[in-house]
Amino acid sequence: MTMTMNNLTQMTRLEVVVPARDAPAIRELITSAGATGYTSVSGVSGIGHHGQHSGALLFNEYDTLTMLITVLPPDNAGELIDAVQQLLSTSSGVMFVSDTYVSRPDYFQ
Amino acid sequence: MNLILRAQVAKAAHAIVPSWPVESFIAVNPLAGHEPRPFETAATPGVVLTRSREAYLADADRGRIVDADLEAALAERVPELAGKLTIGGNSVSAVSVAVLDMKSAQWNSPGATEPSAPWLDEYLATWVSSYLNPDPLWPMPHKQQGFYQAWRALARRDPSLPRTARRTMAELPVEPDAALAWALVQLGVAAEAVTETLRAELQYLPGWVGHIKWRAEKIGDIDLLSYLSVRLTLQAVLDLTPLPSSRKPLIAEEAQTTLWHRAEHVARSIGGSRADRDDIAAVSRVLATHPVPDHELTWQKAYELHYRATLVASLRDTDPFTPRPQLQLVMCIDPRSEGMRRHIEVPPDVETFGFAGFFGVPVRFSRYRARGAVNSLPALLTARHHLTEHPTDPAKADDHIMRGRTRDALRQSTHRADSGAVTPFAFAEVSGWLYGAISVLRTLTPTLQARIHRFLTPSTAALPSNVTIVDAFTLEERAAMAETAVRMMGIGQFAPLVVLAGHASESMNNLYQSALDCGACGGNPGAANARASAAIFNDPDVRALLAARGIDIPSDSFFIAAEHNTVTDAVTVLDRHLVPQSHVHAAQTFDRAQRAAAGRLVKERAQDLPGASPHSPARVQGRAHDWAEVYPELGLAGNAAMIIGPRQMTRGVNLNRRVFLHSYQTELDLDGAALETIMTAPLVVAQWINHQYYFSALNPATLGAGTKTIHNAIGTIGVLAGHAGDLRRGLPWQSVGLGGQLFHEPMRLTVIIQAPLDSIGRIVSRNQVLRNLLDNDWITLTARNDPAAPWRRYTPYGWTAAPTALKGT
Repeated sequence: MTMTMNNLTQMTRLEVVVPARDAPAIRELITSAGATGYTSVSGVSGIGHHGQHSGALLFNEYDTLTMLITVLPPDNAGELIDAVQQLLSTSSGVMFVSDTYVSRPDYFQ
Repeated sequence: MNLILRAQVAKAAHAIVPSWPVESFIAVNPLAGHEPRPFETAATPGVVLTRSREAYLADADRGRIVDADLEAALAERVPELAGKLTIGGNSVSAVSVAVLDMKSAQWNSPGATEPSAPWLDEYLATWVSSYLNPDPLWPMPHKQQGFYQAWRALARRDPSLPRTARRTMAELPVEPDAALAWALVQLGVAAEAVTETLRAELQYLPGWVGHIKWRAEKIGDIDLLSYLSVRLTLQAVLDLTPLPSSRKPLIAEEAQTTLWHRAEHVARSIGGSRADRDDIAAVSRVLATHPVPDHELTWQKAYELHYRATLVASLRDTDPFTPRPQLQLVMCIDPRSEGMRRHIEVPPDVETFGFAGFFGVPVRFSRYRARGAVNSLPALLTARHHLTEHPTDPAKADDHIMRGRTRDALRQSTHRADSGAVTPFAFAEVSGWLYGAISVLRTLTPTLQARIHRFLTPSTAALPSNVTIVDAFTLEERAAMAETAVRMMGIGQFAPLVVLAGHASESMNNLYQSALDCGACGGNPGAANARASAAIFNDPDVRALLAARGIDIPSDSFFIAAEHNTVTDAVTVLDRHLVPQSHVHAAQTFDRAQRAAAGRLVKERAQDLPGASPHSPARVQGRAHDWAEVYPELGLAGNAAMIIGPRQMTRGVNLNRRVFLHSYQTELDLDGAALETIMTAPLVVAQWINHQYYFSALNPATLGAGTKTIHNAIGTIGVLAGHAGDLRRGLPWQSVGLGGQLFHEPMRLTVIIQAPLDSIGRIVSRNQVLRNLLDNDWITLTARNDPAAPWRRYTPYGWTAAPTALKGT
């Protein structure tokens, strides 16, 4: 495991933005991959391949976008990345993968 | 865990629509997975999108579809048909040529087919229903280990399977992921064909598959991976080769009529013997733009256009009632409310409004000290607030509950006695005379039996209590909910008495009772939400915050909750103990007004209700207690449109209980936020309901639940037709038809809005759910800026003139 500045530990961070109705499948993959947790942000807004997306709707959580963020050790991230890529190959949604650094690595293993 | 395989299962299941249990029936578009694509491409195996050619021609004969409708439909679908041509010396429009062709060209309706039930499906359906049955006589062993593991442990001893297969099963992997991967290898499925193979397998048993998808997300005791593991493993063990789905979507076939023959027939019908070869060639060029497989959807569009144009022409612009009204009644947008609103607002000082039946108060509700709770909120939302009630006399309530629990215990023990192996014989000897007498009473005089039952077993709901809004919501949340409701409905001034009426249905022996309750309350009665909303509006702290936000509710305005019984049409005032002395007279006036309105409405409904007579309204109301009645009411049958705008557009117009009515005033929603909420929530719920009725009517065997008369319940999950097979989806035939005839007219939802077109356009463009529905022709939208502006029709390319009143009607 790579140790860098200020004794932080390198991890892999996945951010997945999908329609809320598809979020359960992504959450299931994240937990199956052994990730110890995730952050879910509902009602995210923006502009993408399918046009504009308004943010949170007052009485509809089903037709908005959800962003799921998870962090896990780089060695464990590969299969999850492949699986999410497989799932998003025919449906709308995006995945961002980046290196990140955490102060308490035991929380993510 | 095999993540790639899990992703492939999720991908294969992407278009499957989760299916809610029948205990809280949620109407859904069974083809919602196709909404990102054009409606006309949504045909799936065993599913049709339109009625038969004969049905449309019969409509043309009786004037339900006129030539102007067909011409308007063609103009929308085939813009190239704009010119003219000369046939046999007669100048005719291209569109009229295409109309003649539509009436003469033959096409075969594919017809909805019964789902096949091969041995594998029957076998799996039995296992899934045994595993999920919440109240089995004999609980499934190993159930706690999961579906695949329980099956693996038990099927090895299943004598219906060959001995060699059972021996192989002893060696199967323990985990479902590994078993599915093993099965795919054994079956010789190539890596690149895995998703397609899984997708094909998920097409079978669509009822159970949809429910498993819902269950995986909401309960978690089964998922599609474990279901597919059992299905594929069994096929591998039995050496049954899975094949890519051979069931192709059914489409209308051109019945051996060539383009030239069609053109010749049309040319001769216009020009007679003077039509020559050049004329036929000219006609064939026109008809080539509208091939026969496109005809069915053009007929459907014409059928819808006729209704839409008639509806738009019926709208009025009555003057608003400017003095302060004496009574305001707010009801759900449900089309059944339209009848009550129309009949009760006869005096000019009575105003009515339409709003989503959960009144903007999304709660999980449980009765005082009740076991369990219900999600009384739209399926689009997640329950975050728990509402309950506190009796005004706790000692009396506790005593009442103790007696109720004793009765439950007695009921439970008699249930055990009549469901054991031997005990039913002795039980019948001892108590048969009593149950026999009750059955006779219930059959011959259902209303009297219901009265006796009510007297002997009073409900806790009858005890005075207060809902716990202060515990469920912060003051800010309560004020925000009240402000949202006012701005969404567009209430400018408040009457001394404001009635918030939720709705509920009442019927006996009806597994689909929940489908008749309030869709905005998750298929539950709407009383709890109405009570909570009234309490919020009467809260002085809330009123103080509202005043600071420019909403002044006069101190003499009082809100009361009520519930509309959609079988009897009684609107019962709830929490009567809260009504202050100053408003007792107004509440009594409302009681009288609603009784008179109910009398008129029941007679009106009796004209449509099978077997009912307007001369016997008591018998119509008595259906609430009749255990043999399969048509307690017609529910939302006939629903066809949604109108979003002020009541002045529709007041005094008989909309025949076919229209979702949501009140809205642009002037009270300057930033368009309320309109966006209406268009992304109540409109979406109305569309789900509309498509549930649409497809249940057209496909009773595959997307509907078929006839109620042979239904058997699987706990509170759903129903089977007969004793085995797939879980039935959608609505029963008795919700849409009678005998062999439909009484529900399957039409895609017509949405009509009075609001600035710019606002509407902006809302559509930033919400993908609306873009999908509108751009792909799942619903239509007609709008105008204000009463003086012309109606415009939404298209993906901008607003265009809406078809006006029809010729020939």
